[in-house]
Amino acid sequence: MNKELIYHPLFIFLLIVLSFMLLVCLIRAVKGPRVADRLMAVNMMGTMVMVMISVLALLLREGYLVDICLIYAMISFLSVVVISKVYIGIYEEQHHSQENAEGGNVDERG
Amino acid sequence: MNAAEWIRLIIGCLFILIGMVIFFTELFGVFHFKYVLNRMHAAAMGDTLGISACLLGLMVFSGLNFTTLKMFLIIVFLWFASPVSSHVLSRLEAATNDNLAAHCEIYEDVEILEQELATAANNDTEKKEASAL
Repeated sequence: MNKELIYHPLFIFLLIVLSFMLLVCLIRAVKGPRVADRLMAVNMMGTMVMVMISVLALLLREGYLVDICLIYAMISFLSVVVISKVYIGIYEEQHHSQENAEGGNVDERG
Repeated sequence: MNAAEWIRLIIGCLFILIGMVIFFTELFGVFHFKYVLNRMHAAAMGDTLGISACLLGLMVFSGLNFTTLKMFLIIVFLWFASPVSSHVLSRLEAATNDNLAAHCEIYEDVEILEQELATAANNDTEKKEASAL
């Protein structure tokens, strides 16, 4: 019995199941009421895409695709950290500017 | 295909099945819980355990070569990266939510929590001693 006849349909089936899971993650990212919800969903999608790339590397017999997977992991981690830090900075800036504006109004009234 | 290859196929399929079940659990948890800090608990599981199981299965399929080594590197990298990104995400939530007290208990200082835990532990031991007597 040929090896390809077993592995090829198995990998295709795995890819189909993973893409459905990816779609469900996307629904969470669209629905998520808060920013942290969306970022978490994007992080989950990154994890599933990593598995998909690894499956593709074995399916196409191209070892270098796993390198791309490693780089994808690093960039997805970096993006989550950077976007969270930037959002915290923006939020605090808005908060401070609001407080300053309120304080200024009180001073004018006084 | 000889016997060894059949065994390899079965072991690899088993690992990938475990990984898929963990991914399904993750998705279920993410839609089941009501608040981000609870959802994060379910989401962090797939980041480490789910992808570890899936890649272990693929490593068994691929055999002993550099592809296996790179997949192992991905698992090790995610073990370090996933807790850090979860921590940063929860900090984002705690810093930007003005109404955090509606979802969880907040302690102003860590020492208050430690004192409460110490008194609770003392009460437990006293109760046990009383029941033993």
